[in-house]
Amino acid sequence: MNNAIEAINLTKCYGDLLAVDHINFEVKKGEIFGFLGPNGAGKTTTIRMLTGISLPTEGTATIMEHDIGRHPIEAKEQMGIVPDVSNVYNELSAWDNLIFTGKLYDMPKASRGTRAEELLRMFGLYERRKEKVQGFSRGMKRRICIAMALMNRSSILFLDEPTSGLDVQSVLIIRDLIRQLNQQGLTIFLTTHNIEEASQMCDRVAIINHGKIAAIDTPEKLKRTLESLQSVEVAFEPPPQDPLKDLEKLPDASKVVKEGDKFRIFTRDPPAVLDSLWKYSQNNRLKLITVNTVGPSLEDVFVKLTGISPATEEKPDNAGRGEAERMAQRRKTR
Amino acid sequence: MTNVHSSHYGREIRVAWAIAVKDMRTYYTKPPSLMFGILFPFSLFLSFSIGTKAPLVAQIPILISQTLFFASSSIGPVVIPTERANQTFDRFLTSPVSLLSVLIGKTLAGIIYGAGISVIPVLVGIAFFGSQVISLGALLICFVLSSLAFSALGIMFASIPGQTPGQVMMPLNFVRIPLLFISGVYTPIHELPVWMQAVSMLSPLTHTVELARYATGGETFFGPTLNIAILTVYTVAFLFMGIRFHIMNQRKE
Repeated sequence: MNNAIEAINLTKCYGDLLAVDHINFEVKKGEIFGFLGPNGAGKTTTIRMLTGISLPTEGTATIMEHDIGRHPIEAKEQMGIVPDVSNVYNELSAWDNLIFTGKLYDMPKASRGTRAEELLRMFGLYERRKEKVQGFSRGMKRRICIAMALMNRSSILFLDEPTSGLDVQSVLIIRDLIRQLNQQGLTIFLTTHNIEEASQMCDRVAIINHGKIAAIDTPEKLKRTLESLQSVEVAFEPPPQDPLKDLEKLPDASKVVKEGDKFRIFTRDPPAVLDSLWKYSQNNRLKLITVNTVGPSLEDVFVKLTGISPATEEKPDNAGRGEAERMAQRRKTR
Repeated sequence: MTNVHSSHYGREIRVAWAIAVKDMRTYYTKPPSLMFGILFPFSLFLSFSIGTKAPLVAQIPILISQTLFFASSSIGPVVIPTERANQTFDRFLTSPVSLLSVLIGKTLAGIIYGAGISVIPVLVGIAFFGSQVISLGALLICFVLSSLAFSALGIMFASIPGQTPGQVMMPLNFVRIPLLFISGVYTPIHELPVWMQAVSMLSPLTHTVELARYATGGETFFGPTLNIAILTVYTVAFLFMGIRFHIMNQRKE
């Protein structure tokens, strides 16, 4: 079996509310799997069912082939969990937090100490091991929380919004660490709001919306599904007289949007538009000072599939406008 | 690597003990534990005992029982809602350990807290008021059974979904305080009307008071055998219901 995690018809109801609706997916051993979705989409509910905190209303999940419902102890031995809140024991020292975690996993005394020292050194916290965690910064608590999840040398690491609310330095440290751990063979299940993070880090991503999986694929393949959102960005010197009217007449241009001193021409065929632009500039004696071809981002895929702007997580108020124009609008506001 | 060779039960006991030790280190000196576990029973005792005609030596079993009752039943309602709020309770649910062992660990923390503090009135009684322990066995049974039953009562109430100790303490006190008045704490059971004596028999606190009186040479109404039997029944019932309620909570999660 090549799968680290399998969710089969996983369903969760809270009264009449169907929070997670018969979802199916698998995570291969050794991959970084991103789980994306807006607030209330069912991400945390799914992770809580996969990790045994919450029992599914219907369906099953297996962790390294152990059914989390039927064999929870065996399944839980295989995983480490970093929840969205750093749930460390503030009253205990960094060292005691790790040792207590080792005890929860019934690790022998000698290996508890060795592993705790190894992790505290790896996370740059060994010198502060005797200090109570309550005095630590948010980033340090996050690192302790990840170290606690790694105490039992698990095969799978669940990370729920691991970089949310952290400063840039902590974010970079944690992302680098996740990559290192993955290179060492650890399977990573990552839920995040940060689409760029998922795009950079994940081998595959699943997008969940309204409790259902909207798409699962590699970030690049998902981007390619939105060919209509490819565009060519161009700037001229001197500025043409009536550029919007002229550029809209170019063959294969579906939409033109002005962005500052540049124009974005949306097309399914960027090379054809580049040819036309070259001819247009020659005919009008214009110098092309900027030419970029821009593909759709994972964020565009996310918005297309969920209908929600990740920046605001609200329905866009420009729903009547074309997809291309909405994409341009979002880029302007970045 | 996890010690795969350890026996299942041995492992569960070790983890339960680790949880109990962690709770002792973390929560014993928290203000809600001190207030509801120590200050509350001592204040109640003082407010009721000052001005009574009964000699102080006769009131020592009351103080022992009240302390056992309040201190043991306060740890669960302090620890579990606090851990829910900090999401540290989720750590137990995601660890390779059964919910039963987690709750046994929490119950142990309550037992040790209640029994440990209740030793103080025994020692004070012996040292300053001429109290005598006539039956050490009865006193030990009183301590073990009562702290276990009341700690399990606290764990049972801690299944009420709340994220602050107050949210659990309030409904718990609706039960604890009326029990004081029907358990022969301030009015001897033989002075109660017959129907009240029947009600009194149903209170677990009655049997703690009676065992404490018996152990220190006082008179009892129901006798130690019935006291032990009823406390045992309550211990099992509270443990069972507490575990059931927490499992029900997990299903609702």
